[in-house]
Amino acid sequence: MQSTLIKPALATYTALFLLFLYAPFVVLAILSFQTGPEGGPQFPIIEWSTYWYRHLLGLVPPSRIAPLPIDESLLRSLGLAFMTMVVSTVLGVASAQAFRTRFAGSGIVFYLIVLGMMVPGVLVGLGMSLVANALGIDRHWWSTAFVLHVVYTFPFAFLVMLAIFNRFDESVEEASWSLGVPPGRTFRKVTFPLIFPGVLSAMLFAFTLSYDEFSRTLFASGRDLTLPLAIYGTFSVEIHPNVFAFGVLTTLFSFALLAVYAALMTLSIRRAKRVALQEEAA
Amino acid sequence: MLYDLELIKVGKIYDNGTPAVVDFDLAVVKGEFIAFLGPSGCGKTTTLRMIAGFEQISSGTIRVRGSAINDLPPERRPTSMIFQNYALFPHMTVRRNIGYGLEVKGLSAKQRAAKVDHLLATLSLEDVADKRPDKLSGGQRQRIALARGLAVEPEILLLDEPLGALDANLRKTIQAELKILQKTLGITFVFVTHAQSEALSLSDRIVVMNQGRIEQISPPHQLYTRPDTPFVARFIGRNTILDGTVKGVVGDQVLLETALGSLSGRANGPLVGGQAAKIVIPAEAMEARAAGPAGPVSRSSVNVVGATVRRSDVVGHVSHIAVALPTGTPVALEGHVDKYPPDAFPAGGDIVLTWKAAEATVIPAA
Repeated sequence: MQSTLIKPALATYTALFLLFLYAPFVVLAILSFQTGPEGGPQFPIIEWSTYWYRHLLGLVPPSRIAPLPIDESLLRSLGLAFMTMVVSTVLGVASAQAFRTRFAGSGIVFYLIVLGMMVPGVLVGLGMSLVANALGIDRHWWSTAFVLHVVYTFPFAFLVMLAIFNRFDESVEEASWSLGVPPGRTFRKVTFPLIFPGVLSAMLFAFTLSYDEFSRTLFASGRDLTLPLAIYGTFSVEIHPNVFAFGVLTTLFSFALLAVYAALMTLSIRRAKRVALQEEAA
Repeated sequence: MLYDLELIKVGKIYDNGTPAVVDFDLAVVKGEFIAFLGPSGCGKTTTLRMIAGFEQISSGTIRVRGSAINDLPPERRPTSMIFQNYALFPHMTVRRNIGYGLEVKGLSAKQRAAKVDHLLATLSLEDVADKRPDKLSGGQRQRIALARGLAVEPEILLLDEPLGALDANLRKTIQAELKILQKTLGITFVFVTHAQSEALSLSDRIVVMNQGRIEQISPPHQLYTRPDTPFVARFIGRNTILDGTVKGVVGDQVLLETALGSLSGRANGPLVGGQAAKIVIPAEAMEARAAGPAGPVSRSSVNVVGATVRRSDVVGHVSHIAVALPTGTPVALEGHVDKYPPDAFPAGGDIVLTWKAAEATVIPAA
């Protein structure tokens, strides 16, 4: 009786969830194929065309609609996301490694790290810009904003790695030491290959969070805009479907990232499964 | 005399103040096979890990071939450890697993390969050399772990319940292989186990531990026949243990006054008249006899007590007789059906149990 009710209810819930998850994107994707330059960002579609994609790439004759200022901001955002990913992941792995043994004050340090993802972004951004002003430091995407991005994404990388180390069988490291291999080499040859799936996840988190970070960057990045800021800037004038076309491309880029991640993950998980089997048998 | 391994008053106190190991003293000669035996939590694995360097010692000294290794990190100790779960590297082939420790030993690639090939052959692992360990059976993984540990030519091989994860048949086979391997190589083995059959059949000497302390260090046979402490008497073999008071000591013979009358046995430890003591009688030393009208009486060399049969069963050619002493203490006897015919010991019947005084041991009560 109950299950006959629960099942359709859950199905509806799931359908709604998927709808709200993907509907905005689908609408954007459809509107990005609006004709141009006279077509606007609303239904109905006057005529299907790839005008806005070509507009994005500068392949159409000049019109009254300015091209999206994305080329430099895109590079900036990618560069910032990459730097953030590298630093946050390294910090995340190192600090999670430190937390494998309890040390004095580890509880407080834990909360201090995690605080970085809890505090409201706008406030932190504002605070950072005030501090930079007071100290006479220029604000740049690669300095003040970069620091904030690391503070924000580092806790995510840290928590991912903490979970990975939690399930890590320490005896393989002990076995390596006991065979005469010092801790540094042990980490490179044994620990790192085994935690690599976790490192990948931490990298993905750090990259994507930084790539579309808005509120912290808003006050802290100075004159040169990152991609989310540049796009937001165009909204304040007038919205054209070229933003949607760009949205589609950037989403496809994210999917490509995910695909790479999934491929690498599958390889690692296949290995991890074998480890699990081994432990089970042992 | 230069010992291969010496532990001198080694102690371990956990951060929360609990003592894990107390005053551990042991000296091991080269090529000896030593087992640490005890219930879980007795400190045997902690002691092994202190020798390996995974745990810091709180007090005392550990020496290998005369030089103290207390302050050396694990990778600089001349020991190698085999783990209960083998701890093989899942991302490396069998060959790389075995050669892993050699990579930092300054050998040429050729020398390393030769060594690995030799070990693969010794442990019959040639067929699986290029597979990953997780594809292999428990017995094979066990041998890979051994090969990997032996490749670096340790002075002492430490084994932490290495057979615990194997099924009973495989365990017997590997047990035999392990013993042969150890004798061939002449390396000192220190082996941790909670299974007394393993310890009794493999080792030259057994260290019985309980609650962080050594109860007894003896060759297996002596541990079995001459327990030093009540704990060992309960833990090893199937012994009947009775409380009593020492009435007299003549040479190594002790006369003990117990609830079953005067019983005599061989003294083990300092005993004086009036002292509380225990007599330990191995099940193997006892014989059951039907109680005759003029039953035999205890002499100084033979003890006799009356008992009641609770049950008797025959399994194959072995009779199992469950007996209760007048004190209620149960005793389990077994013997060939020719010796104990099935119908000779009906349940509820009175019998007498006899044993030679020399086969019973009298130890101080605490």
